Amino acid sequence: MTLFALNGVTLTVPGRRLIDGLTLEITQGAVTALVGRNGSSKSTLLKLIAGQLRPDAGTIAHAGRPLPDWAPRELARSIAYLPQVTPPAEGMRLAELVALGRYPWRGALGRFRPEDHAAVEGAMDRCGLRPFADRLVDTLSGGERQRGWIAMMLAQGARTLLLDEPTSALDVAHQVEVLGLVQDMCRQTGLSAVIVLHDVNMAARFCDRVVALDAGRLALQGPITELMTPAALARVYGLPMQVQAQGGKGGGRLFALPE
Amino acid sequence: MRLLLPAVLLALALWTFAALAALPFADWPALPWHPAQMETGQILLAFGLMPRGAVALLAGGCLGLAGALMQAVLRNPLADPTTLGTASGAQLALVAATIFAPGLLAGGALPVALAGAAAVTLPVLALGARRGFAPVTVTISGMLAGMLCAAVATALTLAQGHYLLSLVIWNGGALTQQDWSGPGHLALALAAGLMLTALLARPLMVLSLGAEGARGLGLGLAPLRLGTILIAVCLSALVSAEVGLVGFVGLAAPAIARSLGARTMRARLLLAPLAGALLLSLADGALLALAAMGGPSLPTGALTGLIGGPLLLWLLPRMAAHVPHRAEAGDRLSRRARRPGLVLAVLAALVLALSALTLFGGRGPDGWGLIAPELRATFLPLRATSILAALSAGALLAGSGALLQRLTANPMAAPEVLGVTGGAALGYAAAIFLFPASGPLALALCTAAGGALALAALSAHAMRADLAPARLLLAGLAIGALASAVLGAIMASDDRRAWVILGWLAGSATNVTPAGAAALAGLALALLAALLASARWLEILPLGPGVGRALGLPMAQARLGLILLAGLATGAATLLVGPVSFVGLMAPQIARSLGLVRALPFVAGTWLIGALLMVLAAFGARTATFPYDLPLGLVATLVGAPWLFLTLMKRTAA
Repeated sequence: MTLFALNGVTLTVPGRRLIDGLTLEITQGAVTALVGRNGSSKSTLLKLIAGQLRPDAGTIAHAGRPLPDWAPRELARSIAYLPQVTPPAEGMRLAELVALGRYPWRGALGRFRPEDHAAVEGAMDRCGLRPFADRLVDTLSGGERQRGWIAMMLAQGARTLLLDEPTSALDVAHQVEVLGLVQDMCRQTGLSAVIVLHDVNMAARFCDRVVALDAGRLALQGPITELMTPAALARVYGLPMQVQAQGGKGGGRLFALPE
Repeated sequence: MRLLLPAVLLALALWTFAALAALPFADWPALPWHPAQMETGQILLAFGLMPRGAVALLAGGCLGLAGALMQAVLRNPLADPTTLGTASGAQLALVAATIFAPGLLAGGALPVALAGAAAVTLPVLALGARRGFAPVTVTISGMLAGMLCAAVATALTLAQGHYLLSLVIWNGGALTQQDWSGPGHLALALAAGLMLTALLARPLMVLSLGAEGARGLGLGLAPLRLGTILIAVCLSALVSAEVGLVGFVGLAAPAIARSLGARTMRARLLLAPLAGALLLSLADGALLALAAMGGPSLPTGALTGLIGGPLLLWLLPRMAAHVPHRAEAGDRLSRRARRPGLVLAVLAALVLALSALTLFGGRGPDGWGLIAPELRATFLPLRATSILAALSAGALLAGSGALLQRLTANPMAAPEVLGVTGGAALGYAAAIFLFPASGPLALALCTAAGGALALAALSAHAMRADLAPARLLLAGLAIGALASAVLGAIMASDDRRAWVILGWLAGSATNVTPAGAAALAGLALALLAALLASARWLEILPLGPGVGRALGLPMAQARLGLILLAGLATGAATLLVGPVSFVGLMAPQIARSLGLVRALPFVAGTWLIGALLMVLAAFGARTATFPYDLPLGLVATLVGAPWLFLTLMKRTAA
């Protein structure tokens, strides 16, 4: 089943073509890593499939329907998107932030129902945030705050999570924590996720599939193992890298090291 | 660079045309000049037109240099003596000195102007320092300070008008000269300024890397910033003292220098004075030539003010992307009220109690007390009308302020800076001039139409720029600057009708009809309903367009709808209280400091606080100078603005 189908998608800003005739498919029920060099338009692609940007040419379909056919709130019930830099949530408690995730279901005026409260509580439990429910968001540590925003995405009840470099400001322990959380959710409840990642090894550990971009064009797509070869890494990053396996043959994990 | 020579030639040609129209070349006096042996025409040329040409060049050069210095040291392409409030401060000081202490001016206007300029610029910059000199915030606070000074100056002019007509003309920036002392002073200052600038060029270049980078290279930031600003303020104050308010030359000159290809700091600092000199010469020459052809004689500052608004709009999209975004955002750590419902209830009770108290109580011929029973039938309906009108206007302004602050996530956003009030003022002026003896209905319609036009222009600009909130505010300020330039020109035109406009600009609630007050109250209630209904939007909008879109908020429609709502509410309130009041900026700040943080209590509390502030202002306006009424908007401004500045100073970003 295809989660996203892109056909000839092009996006140009004055003086630069960010996305250049991109045609690809993203599979449902998997964690897909979106990788590439700086300036390869990874974030732009994520914004395009999230409906945050409109392409100049080409079509993007989500679950078989073109994005422009989705009403804004209908799309938000199906796709949750986390921007690269989360905005300051002035004066907001964590539980209130997570509750914003119910907006797509209730709109500007609809009354909160028991299932909304259940979704908010469930999302906070899922992310281990129960003890922080009454804390102000802006007083939380970076990792807690990031989990809070992911809890908001869960409360949104969307089946697809789009995350733009969710780990860029976190130390390695919190990176593992956040990505592990996303991976678990996808494994256990059948969600799909597309994550923009810089770290190849994190991608190899937590993702099932990969889409690699090079200057707005498709460089590679397929299972994550296809990325973890010296030839593929050299093509995507333009840097010779070694790949080593650890933890036994066959089931071992692959590591990439710059030479 | 190819533009430079034609500009020089054109400026020269315009001046020569005016000079030749005044006196044929054959009659021009030969050097050395001895006034005793010259004819009147020759004296006018040698001691009027010629120094005027020189003053245009020198004042323009000073302003260009001041603007370039301010822009370099604040790393802000929008800084100049007008946008930082420097020029308005000098103006207010001179007006006040003329009325209250003419003796101070005996030693020349410069010390007074300098004191006023510094007294306004320093708080603005201190506020800016608390917010990392974020350009938009500094510009907004500077222009607000400027508006405040202008409002006070207006009030003084209104109170002592007959003596101050010359000041009104001076406010418009008239370059008229009667001897060569003006050019002498300006030349001296410009030369000194240029020499000091040469010393500062390299440190300023290092500073262009940003504060952290400059500190890393071993630059002492505080002395550099203070010294540079001081030079710029001195230059600007001198120009104010010599020729009056000449707006936006300091903004335009560095922009022109940049577009002429001045890439390095040194080139920009050198070219900007030149560009400023040429710009002011061209503007003055055009006006001289117009007057020589029999046109009206307008002050030059009014013309440069006209350039200013469009120029700001043109500069906005070109602002560098490296503006520190975090610094523009609001304060992060806010206190939260434990029981917002209780705070709201207390506020509502206060509004009711104060309304009742000011309805019955007050100051009469026999001093303070309740109104006498036999007077009630006559006075209570009048008082009730004006209190209801003031209350509603306050709620409307405050409500739109709350809306705009949530929409832009900027605590400096306010309806006063949306330009709606400026547009409304122009509409009012147009009605006064175009339809003699127009009734209140025609006035109201024209004022509303002016506000609506400004709002339409703003929306059009905002839609094109994807409604980036900070730019929206500056676009509004630009429209406001344009409006005040036109108004300045009207004031300086020496027309009786100008006084009617001047009176309206200060705002008053005494001329409202009961029907008008009821309509305003209805509008205020409708606004409250709309605010409460959109509370969930207002909760999400401060998180930015990315999050809003991801949650399925119809961003474009929501923003446009809310801006229109704010504009309509502002326009309606402006009809009553006049263009400046600051209630829309103050009320949301008070609501926050009371701990009303979430959208719903915030908007409801702000609405109530606005009503409360305006009831107080109306009471003050009625009683402070009994039996004469003070203008309502003026009282609100005078009470609120200093307090507002203190609050903003205290609240630092976490």
